[in-house]
Amino acid sequence: MMDDIEGKIIKNYEIAPGYRLLKIRLSRSMDQMVPGQFVMLKVPDSEVFLRRPFSIYGYSRETLSLMYKVVGKGTESLSKATGNERVSVLCPLGKGFTIQKRDAYVIVAGGIGIAGLHALIRKLGKRATIFFGCNNKAELPLMGSAADLNPYVSTLDGSYGFRGNVVQLLAKHMKTIEKKDVEVFTCGPESMLKSLKKLLEKKRIPCQASFEERMACGLGLCFGCVKKTVDEEEPYKRVCKEGPVFDLWQVCL
Amino acid sequence: MASLSIKLFGKTLRNPVLNASGTLGYGKEIEPLWGVETLGAYVTKGLSLKPHHGNPTPRVWEERRGLINSIGLQNIGVDRFFDEYFPFFKQKRTPIIVNFFGFTEEEYIACAERIKPDKLIIALEMNLSCPNVKQGGISFGKDPDMVHRIVKEVKAVTQIPLIAKLTPEVKNLREIAQAAYEAGVNGFTLLNTIPSMVVDIQKRSVPIRGGLSGPVLRPVALKAVYEISSSLPVPVIGTGGIMNHNDALSFIMAGACAVQVGTATFIDPYAIPKIIEGIKEYLERCRCPRVEDIVGVAHE
Repeated sequence: MMDDIEGKIIKNYEIAPGYRLLKIRLSRSMDQMVPGQFVMLKVPDSEVFLRRPFSIYGYSRETLSLMYKVVGKGTESLSKATGNERVSVLCPLGKGFTIQKRDAYVIVAGGIGIAGLHALIRKLGKRATIFFGCNNKAELPLMGSAADLNPYVSTLDGSYGFRGNVVQLLAKHMKTIEKKDVEVFTCGPESMLKSLKKLLEKKRIPCQASFEERMACGLGLCFGCVKKTVDEEEPYKRVCKEGPVFDLWQVCL
Repeated sequence: MASLSIKLFGKTLRNPVLNASGTLGYGKEIEPLWGVETLGAYVTKGLSLKPHHGNPTPRVWEERRGLINSIGLQNIGVDRFFDEYFPFFKQKRTPIIVNFFGFTEEEYIACAERIKPDKLIIALEMNLSCPNVKQGGISFGKDPDMVHRIVKEVKAVTQIPLIAKLTPEVKNLREIAQAAYEAGVNGFTLLNTIPSMVVDIQKRSVPIRGGLSGPVLRPVALKAVYEISSSLPVPVIGTGGIMNHNDALSFIMAGACAVQVGTATFIDPYAIPKIIEGIKEYLERCRCPRVEDIVGVAHE
């Protein structure tokens, strides 16, 4: 069950230019979380009005890890936290990934999207084939321990691995992937999800995708963070409640 | 023990703290944290005759000390609400106020007609900020003649007390309230969000137009409550940027018989229970036996 838990920032360091890892010691343990779930964090700055949603990057023994990209007012302010600040964390929230028995699992992560997949990667371990794409070599630390699982890597500038985006890289391996009873798990920018959907379309390979959206409450109260789906009766589903993980085939992109 | 209970339209509410419409989902969503029976009454998400899909994203935008929303009145429709959710409130013996809207006069009337009196239904709360599609999209609540007509028409089809929730975007709020009063309205909720927008200077575009809520709006709403409650002899429910029990008390002292809490819940999901507790502590500290004793005391 979700709860609002007090915590203290214990670490907040840069892992790549513009990307940081935040560690929070919670005052009590969080209920069991499912990979793909998220938290709503009250940034310790009175100028930041609403809470901010973050994927759960890792959690063990009352220490919660969040990996984030500095993108706006909230994350900018958070990046300046030096440690010891008190925060409140509403967690764990939303519907995470569902792992069904399959012959193979493929993980497709674009940039900071890997933050929302990391807990799943750890759960699946060697059972998953990982595809990770980022802008350049400097962003490789985003992979964290996923780097030990022989991931296929692409960089847009070609400074490491395959030159191009992660969906182009995945396309080169589709023949072998398609043969198996496979499921894809993904998180990344919407443009990436769009081209991934196109690539998987021919065989309509099962795919669970984690989405992000501007959010106010994180609890399903306000209907602010919706994604349009193919459901004609109620097209707009809440990312915080019915998501953030959706069946990719149900979402209109 | 100080009493928090209030009388509203002849019914007793256990306390004067309600949620603002659309800020507590359909009610069940808050249950993992606290029960809806904590509320004085649950105010429903805005309901319409037919289900409504709402707006594309972005639907929410943070401002300094405020929030702009453009949800677009997404809702499952009045019939589905009563089939799927009302039994839950009955089971929890939690009174409700049914917020409703329409895009035409006929839709308002037809929607109000669908709602059958029940001992748990305290009132209907009419959202008058809706655009009138038959009159070029100008909101119903801006024109006193329109307000008078639609209130009269709705009153003619329902036995349930009717509250008008007014928009602040008017030339003369008193004139609008007077028109609603003369048409037979039983109370007011003041105020709805303020129409607003954002300009993205990087993209040189307007990412969102919507209603502004939160503390930035509070002094405006407070003034409306003070003025309307002293000029018309019907109950006023105060809402607008209430973040804590002190804010709530200021509305009560300005003349609100009850308050609605909205945006605060997004920042602290326990804001409502904390406000209820805070009001109770205040009353006990100043040895005031009943919250009803301080309604409007700022006027004296």
